[in-house]
Amino acid sequence: MEKFIYTLKKLDKRWIYLLIFLSCIIPFWFPDMFPQEFSTSKETQRVYDIINGLNEGDAIFIDWAFDPTLQAELLPMAEQTIKQALDKKIRVFIYYPLLTGISLGENLLENIKKEPGYENIENGVDYIHLGYLPIGVDMVLFSMYSDFKATFGKEGKIFEGIKTFGDIKYMVSYAGSAHPEIYISLQPRFGFKMGAGVTAVVGPDMVPYLQTGQLDGMLFGLKGAAEYENLRIKSGAEKKYNQKANAGMASLNLSHIIMFLFIGLGNLVYFYERKYKKSI
Amino acid sequence: MKKEIPLLIGFIATIGWYLEFFMAGKFFENWKMIFTTGFRNVAIVGLLVGMVNVLRVNYKKIKYNNDRWYSVYQMFIIALMVFFGSLRGISPGTPFDAMFTYGFVPLDATVFSLLAFYVASASYRSFKIKSVESAFLLVAAILIMLSKMPLGEAMWSKIPVIGEWIMDGPTSAGKRAILFGAYLGGLTMMIRVAFGLERSHLSE
Repeated sequence: MEKFIYTLKKLDKRWIYLLIFLSCIIPFWFPDMFPQEFSTSKETQRVYDIINGLNEGDAIFIDWAFDPTLQAELLPMAEQTIKQALDKKIRVFIYYPLLTGISLGENLLENIKKEPGYENIENGVDYIHLGYLPIGVDMVLFSMYSDFKATFGKEGKIFEGIKTFGDIKYMVSYAGSAHPEIYISLQPRFGFKMGAGVTAVVGPDMVPYLQTGQLDGMLFGLKGAAEYENLRIKSGAEKKYNQKANAGMASLNLSHIIMFLFIGLGNLVYFYERKYKKSI
Repeated sequence: MKKEIPLLIGFIATIGWYLEFFMAGKFFENWKMIFTTGFRNVAIVGLLVGMVNVLRVNYKKIKYNNDRWYSVYQMFIIALMVFFGSLRGISPGTPFDAMFTYGFVPLDATVFSLLAFYVASASYRSFKIKSVESAFLLVAAILIMLSKMPLGEAMWSKIPVIGEWIMDGPTSAGKRAILFGAYLGGLTMMIRVAFGLERSHLSE
């Protein structure tokens, strides 16, 4: 036993790295190694229902506050909400508070255009990239409430009937930080409806705002994105083009199991040492 | 006057901003727009200053430092992206976009992905039940993680419910307490700046 504990204690961290690496990669070849069924949380359902309840010609605002570092979790969320809006002919305004997110968003829309059913969507008509502004988001929000179009200096048919941010029916903020809190702090003043799509790390920080009703709904981590994909697939979206987050579910399961295993082993070493009152 | 005028500007701006939040009307709206435009102009100049600073720092490194090749590489990439961005824009299909998609995206994502390995290693070394409190922390963390992966629900259908309860109850209460303290601190700081008690922004 002591030899085993000694081996564990002196375990080279590269073995941990290797196992985590394999646990992330292998499930992509064997996606069915774990159960794929899971329920939809009420926060995810709420975002879906709100966008689904909008009418043709309404407008939503996507706050794209993430860059490639967080694309694994947040890109599938943004993709699904944008596609859902485009399916319902809802106008999509995409604003980038991060410079490094712009190309990510532009490429997503270009890829969406290659999918069946979206070939005819047009920039400036069905959606628009509003770009980056070198000022704080709160300043952008105040400016949008003064003159939406002038804030970004863009032109297009899409702006018809949108004078201020008050004409936007719903906004979703995608971020891997406390960024949505900037909107949330101004939400009681302006009264706009908003949801958020956040990484699993940030999710717990946003829960109080769900309770106060400042956030109407929330997509929480990779599982939230997969739940959203499933909701769209159930309503008729083609599975082939809408399973990026679901593809990562098995990887999520196995990597967490490996993590639990290491936490357990670490505690085994700790308790063994404590019981025999010696340091191996 | 070198001290009094910045303090006066600080007072007017802080109080005006504070009042504007509670009082509607054209006067305060215009007041806010003056500052919005001002911030935007300052931020644009700030970007320029940042760019000049990057050039200055790297120029010095190239001239005097032994690790000059990192700086040469950085300057080369900056110049290349500025060149391609200015030449053909940044929209999909352009050389700038190709550099972003095939260079920046994988590099940026890779650096962040390293976190998974460090977190696993750190959990193994540090996540130990040394006290009752740490036992609670560990159990709560495992339940939350299980509730956020499909396997948890497959193991026991109540796992997501327990995870939700932990977040809606204890986690949310803690977060609210922290937020409340932070916002009270922010309010105090505002009053201190307005009345000139806090002068760190004036380099004092």
